[in-house]
Amino acid sequence: MPDSLRSALKEISVNQDAVIIANGTDMMPRIREEGLKVDKLLDLSAIDGELSYINVEDNIVKIGAMTTVSQIASSDAFRGSLNAFYEIVSKFGGPQIRNRATIGGNICAASSSEDFIPLLLTLDASVVLQSVNGKRNVKLENFIIGKRMVARRNDEILTEIQFNRPSDDYLSGFEKVGRRNILIINLVNMAVLMSVNDKKFSDVRVALNRVSGKVPQRARATEEFLKGKKIDDDSVINQARYKLRDELKLTSDFRASADYRINLAQAMFEKLVRRLLGGFNNE
Amino acid sequence: MSDMLIKMKVNGVEREVLIDAEDRLLDVLRDQFGFKSPKEGCGTGDCGLCTVMMDGKPILSCITPAFQARGREIVTLEGLNDDPLMKRIETSFRDHHAAQCGYCTPAMEIMGYNLLKNVKKPSKDEVKEAISGTLCRCTGYYDIVDAVYDLGGNE
Amino acid sequence: MSVLAEDYILDLQKRAERGELIYIGQSLKRIDDLEKVLGSPVYTNDLIPKNTLYAKLVLSRYPHAWIRSIKVSKATSYPGIRTVLTYMDVPGINESAAIVPDRPLFAREKVRSTGDIIAAVVAEKESRAIEARDLVEVEYDPIKPVFDPMEALSSDAPKIHENGNIAKHIRVAKGDVEKGFNDADLIVENTFRTQFQDAVPMETETAFAIPKDNDRILVIGSMQSPHNTQAGVAKVLGWPLERVEVIQAVTGGAFGPKSDETPIDVASIAAIGALKTGKPVLMSMSRKESMIAHTKRHASVIKHKTGVKSDGRLTASKVEIYLDGGAYASLGVLVIVRATFHANGPYEIPNVLNDGYKVYTNHTYAGSFRGFGAPQAIFAAESQMDEIARKLGIDPLDLRLMNMLRPGKRTSTGQLMDDSCGLPECVDAVVKSSDYRRKVAEYSSQNGKVRRGIGMAILHHGNALGPEGNDYAYVHLSVDKRGTVHLGTGLTEYGSGAISGIAQIASSVLGIPVDYFTIDRPDTDRHKESGPTVASRVTAVGGNAAREAALKLRERINAVASKLLACSPSKVKVVDGYAFSEDDPKKTVSWEEIVKEAFDANIELNVVGYYMAPRCIWDESTGLGSPYNQYTFGAAIAEVEVDTETGIYRVLNYHVAFDVGRAINPKNVIGQIYGGTVQGLGYGMMEELVHINGQVVNPNLKDYYIPTSLDIPDKLVPIIVEKRGAMGVYGAKVIAEPPIVLPAPAIRNAILNATGGSVNELPVTSEKVYKSIEH
Repeated sequence: MPDSLRSALKEISVNQDAVIIANGTDMMPRIREEGLKVDKLLDLSAIDGELSYINVEDNIVKIGAMTTVSQIASSDAFRGSLNAFYEIVSKFGGPQIRNRATIGGNICAASSSEDFIPLLLTLDASVVLQSVNGKRNVKLENFIIGKRMVARRNDEILTEIQFNRPSDDYLSGFEKVGRRNILIINLVNMAVLMSVNDKKFSDVRVALNRVSGKVPQRARATEEFLKGKKIDDDSVINQARYKLRDELKLTSDFRASADYRINLAQAMFEKLVRRLLGGFNNE
Repeated sequence: MSDMLIKMKVNGVEREVLIDAEDRLLDVLRDQFGFKSPKEGCGTGDCGLCTVMMDGKPILSCITPAFQARGREIVTLEGLNDDPLMKRIETSFRDHHAAQCGYCTPAMEIMGYNLLKNVKKPSKDEVKEAISGTLCRCTGYYDIVDAVYDLGGNE
Repeated sequence: MSVLAEDYILDLQKRAERGELIYIGQSLKRIDDLEKVLGSPVYTNDLIPKNTLYAKLVLSRYPHAWIRSIKVSKATSYPGIRTVLTYMDVPGINESAAIVPDRPLFAREKVRSTGDIIAAVVAEKESRAIEARDLVEVEYDPIKPVFDPMEALSSDAPKIHENGNIAKHIRVAKGDVEKGFNDADLIVENTFRTQFQDAVPMETETAFAIPKDNDRILVIGSMQSPHNTQAGVAKVLGWPLERVEVIQAVTGGAFGPKSDETPIDVASIAAIGALKTGKPVLMSMSRKESMIAHTKRHASVIKHKTGVKSDGRLTASKVEIYLDGGAYASLGVLVIVRATFHANGPYEIPNVLNDGYKVYTNHTYAGSFRGFGAPQAIFAAESQMDEIARKLGIDPLDLRLMNMLRPGKRTSTGQLMDDSCGLPECVDAVVKSSDYRRKVAEYSSQNGKVRRGIGMAILHHGNALGPEGNDYAYVHLSVDKRGTVHLGTGLTEYGSGAISGIAQIASSVLGIPVDYFTIDRPDTDRHKESGPTVASRVTAVGGNAAREAALKLRERINAVASKLLACSPSKVKVVDGYAFSEDDPKKTVSWEEIVKEAFDANIELNVVGYYMAPRCIWDESTGLGSPYNQYTFGAAIAEVEVDTETGIYRVLNYHVAFDVGRAINPKNVIGQIYGGTVQGLGYGMMEELVHINGQVVNPNLKDYYIPTSLDIPDKLVPIIVEKRGAMGVYGAKVIAEPPIVLPAPAIRNAILNATGGSVNELPVTSEKVYKSIEH
């Protein structure tokens, strides 16, 4: 149980097959219920002092990997263009889980409760991976490579999430849908970050928990389509829905069929875009 | 998975306990310290019945490794039974018939306590939010919400 | 002698006029919830001794297979494991089956579902037992499984049990349906489907056993019937009943599965383990073990064919109910009876032909769960009514008003409704409360993507066991030296407050405050067998037994008081624990003084009350007759808002009225209405235990959704109607079960009203709503 980042990095360089645990909200149920066998654990909970912070320097937002959902909820750093963070935390797990779940853990779990990831993808976020040999930045979209698979080397610890703070002419939004109003496995979860200029869509970024594979991704064709188009033309949004539908290759499971998920994504997308456009109108 | 000796403060008393790496905080509280009020309802962090306070914040003890409680302060319902606000909550629960089978009651009371400590006069929606991570199968929640709501603003 | 204030005495005298009803109808606090709000260690897992061993289950990997061999040596030699139990360790009969002897405790030659128990690993620490489970080696020879109940009926389906795949068939045949169809102007046919629902009691099934010195064993557990558990354990051990003592600990919810086989499974496994190791053994099911291996609500396929005249009069109803019962019969053979008797809904229909089947499949097995066949049956019946209304162009309320049961009308089995039929009052109440007519008019012209709708469902619910068995109960009352009245019974409390309620009845007959009572833990050594705590019968049936006991006790109290008051026993009144003579109320003696006098005079204050409900007379082959002694009635109206683009909807408000005969404790009644309604909401909107190829894919609370506090309607308006029943104590009727029945059809019908789309399958998910709408 290392009490500093330095000793944690040392430990993992020596025990490279150790499984890293933050506060355990994702790992513990799997050990108990899914029989996940863990021989060596590297526990980061004692260094949360070092690794929980939310800093903005030179317009770069830096969030420590051990920052909890509750800490994000009570921070003022996300007001304005990053408001979607507050929408994520208000629907994340339940009140008790928010006190323990960490943003770093949520990213590395890369599973069906990957609430932060779509928003971070729209922000072109990157993660900082540290080892005894130094630091490297990896773009989030390259870091998540599969369900529960991330591109972390065995001697690395994810210490920080970084992204440029969008300027004040951006708005962000987040929506998720499941079978009840809280504590759900998402059918669809979606984030949009966009700016408007001269009554036209300027920069548009859309990400969903699933686009064409098993990992969260940006819906790039839809984004490209909207850029430069008129915001008050209903047919634009309609066509954007179709673009999104064409882009999405989703699968069916016992929770919902693929075509329903696609339909849901389209409806959520329109709702989110209109909500943000409304936000622009109110400014 | 070797034994570890760790220290933690539970219900106001410093304690030392020998644990295994795979022990959950819930098991240590119940089996080693004899505090039975936190319950196992699901074992996966989905029902809230194992809720206890850690360093002043409600958390789920069934998905908290015992070793992460090292050096922390844990409070269970047993440690709050003499607290005046908790006593009023318990009376309110009885008045409103908010405890039917009683299995979710400790967790509900802790979440109600946590809310009333932070919000003077919570609305019914705020009460529902506060207990939204805690499942009840008997009451349908209405009497629990009323039991907490009716205490608002009377501090 | 006590000296009381004048005006208080006048008040006592006035209240004495209510006689034994003095505390009936009051929303008194429960007497057994103090320990619950304090978080006291009173549940089974809280009570285990220090040296207890832990058992965990090994369940079948296949839904249908022969077992070639079971090898436990690897598991037994794993560190921390004390022993591994299989069928070879069963000293008596390897059976745990509620009614039909079709289910072993431990699997031996065959497994019929993935819920079948192969072995139990017993260890010093629960985590060791979990780790060692995979080391039990089982050689399987898979057999072709069958999962669809309709397929299971065909002659070439794999045989799950020796005698074929029909566990039970029951028929109700009244009049001539073919003639009825010929008389009809319109025939409406629909097929409805419902899902497996898990009861999800927040405390799972659990028991621990302690071997006792005198060749006995003590079992403490979470259950609905200690006597059933005792009988089950004794059979497995091969012991006479008297050597087994079973005590029901405070139980964290039950709802049905804890009255079927599972409490016997866990108690028997704990007992066998305890005898083998000489140590206490706890068999506490994890949520996953529970959701796979305990009984659940049957899934169903229900076919309706209804004949109706163009003015709305029903002429004939033919219903086929196929319950997917899973691998074993359990209480399902009675569930199908209730479902079939209620299959047409609460209507007078001259010609009826209902056929109900509990069918075996290789799904995990189904048995009791609150509602006991009514939720499935009424979902189908009430959905069918709205379909008929739509085809005829009649308002669904008017169609119901025209055909529903009223005093003078007869049920599907021909039972005559008398003045105790409160269905019209229930319907009136919710129509008024919800402003139904105005809303229907308002919602008939809407445009836009978000639509509102209003819909209803009504029911009748036969009380209590009816055709399911002998409906009797015993209640013991014994007063100790300090005047505390101990109430003991084999009936169990697990959340409804009904046991507190029967104490309230006894307190009312005795004239003493209910907090003079304490409820003793049901214990087979001390309390007589009282039938299982099911069918919501504690108040209606148990209440009568409590009243009988209290009347006996009251006689003795009156005799003693009459000496102290120097009056005749018939003049003794008792109010709030003060006894006085009707003719001279100023002279009072307290309860404590009477009790002391009784003890001094060696008068025993120990009584037992017994009540058995009248036997129900009905014809087994036609189902005709009076299968229930009385009926509860109910009506609900739900208002929903639907986003037609996504099918996502929410319930805005829900108005519901129940004719409960007499509300002994109105707050408890409303508590049952709230809780049952939300459980019914879960059934209608989101709950679904899913099997894929016989494996339960969501045996956890992460992927099986029960309603949270954010899922309940903002407004739930419960209304109590009282039309005295013939059987229940003071005219009380059952209330614990009916509330779970109405939300699914009311919501489904409200969505139909909002969107024009019919969803005929539960749960009503947003996807199904979306697909049912014409886009």
